Amino acid sequence: MPRLTIDGREIEAAAGRTVMEAATDAGIFIPYFCWHPKLSVPGNCRICVVGVEDKGGEWVEIACNMPVTEGMVVYTNSEKVRARRKATMQFITLNHPVDCGICDKAGECTLQDYHYEYNGERSISVDAKAHATKHYSLSPRIVLDNERCIQCTRCVRFTREISKSNGLGMQNRADHSLVRAVEDGSFANDPYSDNVIDICPVGALLSRSFLHKARVWYLKPTASVCPGCSRGCTVNLWHRRPEWRLRAPGMRAQNETIDRVTPLENPAVNGPWICNKGRDIAKVLGRARAETAMLKGRPAELQGAIAQARSLIAAARKPVAVVSSWASNEELAAFKAALGARFSVLVKADHEPEPGEVVQDDILIRADKNPNTAGARALFGEAPLALPPDADLVLVWGEGLDFGLIPAGAKIVYLNAWLQPENGHADVFFPTSIQTERDGHYTNFAGVTSAFTQCFPRPAGVADAQALFAALAGQAGGGE
Amino acid sequence: MKHLIPEFEKMKERYPEGFESSLVLPCLRRIQEDRGFVAEEDIVALVDYLKVPRIQVEEVLSYYTMLRRKPIGRFHLQACRNIACSMRGAEGVIAHLSRKLGVKPGQTTPDGTFTLTEVECLGSCGTAPVVMVNEAYHENMSTEKLDRLVDELAAGVRAGGK
Ligand code: SF4
Ligand code: SF4
Ligand code: FES
Ligand code: FES
Repeated sequence: MPRLTIDGREIEAAAGRTVMEAATDAGIFIPYFCWHPKLSVPGNCRICVVGVEDKGGEWVEIACNMPVTEGMVVYTNSEKVRARRKATMQFITLNHPVDCGICDKAGECTLQDYHYEYNGERSISVDAKAHATKHYSLSPRIVLDNERCIQCTRCVRFTREISKSNGLGMQNRADHSLVRAVEDGSFANDPYSDNVIDICPVGALLSRSFLHKARVWYLKPTASVCPGCSRGCTVNLWHRRPEWRLRAPGMRAQNETIDRVTPLENPAVNGPWICNKGRDIAKVLGRARAETAMLKGRPAELQGAIAQARSLIAAARKPVAVVSSWASNEELAAFKAALGARFSVLVKADHEPEPGEVVQDDILIRADKNPNTAGARALFGEAPLALPPDADLVLVWGEGLDFGLIPAGAKIVYLNAWLQPENGHADVFFPTSIQTERDGHYTNFAGVTSAFTQCFPRPAGVADAQALFAALAGQAGGGE
Repeated sequence: MKHLIPEFEKMKERYPEGFESSLVLPCLRRIQEDRGFVAEEDIVALVDYLKVPRIQVEEVLSYYTMLRRKPIGRFHLQACRNIACSMRGAEGVIAHLSRKLGVKPGQTTPDGTFTLTEVECLGSCGTAPVVMVNEAYHENMSTEKLDRLVDELAAGVRAGGK
């Protein structure tokens, strides 16, 4: 294991590591644009230069492509390095439009940060900037501003090395290079395409669904888990910061919507990536909600509904429960503790693959389109979903069950978060919360448990499932 | 393109195994020599033959301005506009050709006979200014020589020759 010194700190690095990797492992920061820990090393941006001590004096070279050697002495911030970096920044911004004022990346842009950190001066070029396409549609999901592109090729390498769609390339050359999608259209079908938006170090690749929607500093990320499939990728759900709430009338919806979804890096589950379905999960979570309890389709007070459900449970001879694979481990455990002995319990899939959706691949996407099947099965077993014909009470929890499978004559107690036609067919209906309205955990297909955190308050009239189960079992509490 | 595959197979032998993407450029050159340009069906066939992602072929085609995806005129006049030629009157050469043919650089005459292009140094600075006609160099060009060259080429076409 070679030993080297970086900025006076002696560190040990595995042979074959680069100076960039050794520094990153040791917590020493070296700036980079084109390097990415999960992608190949093109060494094209030159911002990662470091100084290396030598007999003839200090020489500078890029850290991302330099293997460590025994006894190496590296400086990340010498005068020579600072001068070179500054010149490199001048070069990289030579044709950059600096239209941060209208750029969605502003606030989380590496080029902005490095400019303040390593250059800080106006352009020394007297030549007019080269122009390129702005607002170019790279795919139905991604808008490209080619003037902002610094040609790091991260996006291109992502489609070659990670998503393997080979969907992007660099056309032409030099200062008229253009990022372009392959003509056969495969980029539009890349289910991981939106990751290039995150890894673009500048504001060249923009999400159409987030385009000019919010300045990122008005938003706050809440750690969550994508419910889109049993991979259970950890994600950040971005929504308006409470201190920046919009106060104009009619703005409640904007204050309480998910504006964008980004990966929350997690080596145990999804690494730094998520699929496009995860990006769009706000559409699933933003569907119209059920917000009132009902008795046979008529709105009812929550307490009255609880009393009615309790008497149905007490009267049943063969009660069966079909629990949700979108419920949290906490809710499932609460059900088991409160009602597990009274019901025979089956686990259902709330969601099946949609037509046209990628069912499964060998990257992230799993065929089971529910986040917590493993958590539910761990508590209630693997029995297939077959309702016994003599069941006289069926408690259904969550969407996705065909009510035609419920034996005729059986009473139905239904818990659902969404406004759906089945709600009115239940003898007792309870509106329940969704994952953005509570904390909890899901267990993914491989047995890894991840936490999600509440983003928004639970709407009035919506029951908290944990408290509801206790109330249905006759314990204290009233479901709210 | 298919009829060129035996030639491509020979070229392949000069590369280590697994370096199919290195063959993209020589194959495209050969295709263009054969057809005059690279057609969509050539791209599809080449992708299929080399098993490289299509985007790599598109990148190479756009990187090298010598490769074209559209047919051009029968005679490709490439007038050098780089330093040595410019110092010896390249601007005048290009302007004269443009006037005489009635097309701007980058365009083809309506009868499909001539395409005029401006190019960078042709490596013949000692005989500047230089104009290439297809694969042949025409050196020390003057207005008279240009007129003679163009007239002869046009006459050849009219006479049905090559
Ligand atoms: S679009 Fe972004 S990620 Fe792609 S090459 Fe340009 S700067 Fe890099
Ligand atoms: S792979 Fe599954 S869990 Fe991950 S983002 Fe896509 S749908 Fe969500
Ligand atoms: S990060 Fe090293 S050259 Fe770009
Ligand atoms: S500059 Fe014209 S041939 Fe070199």
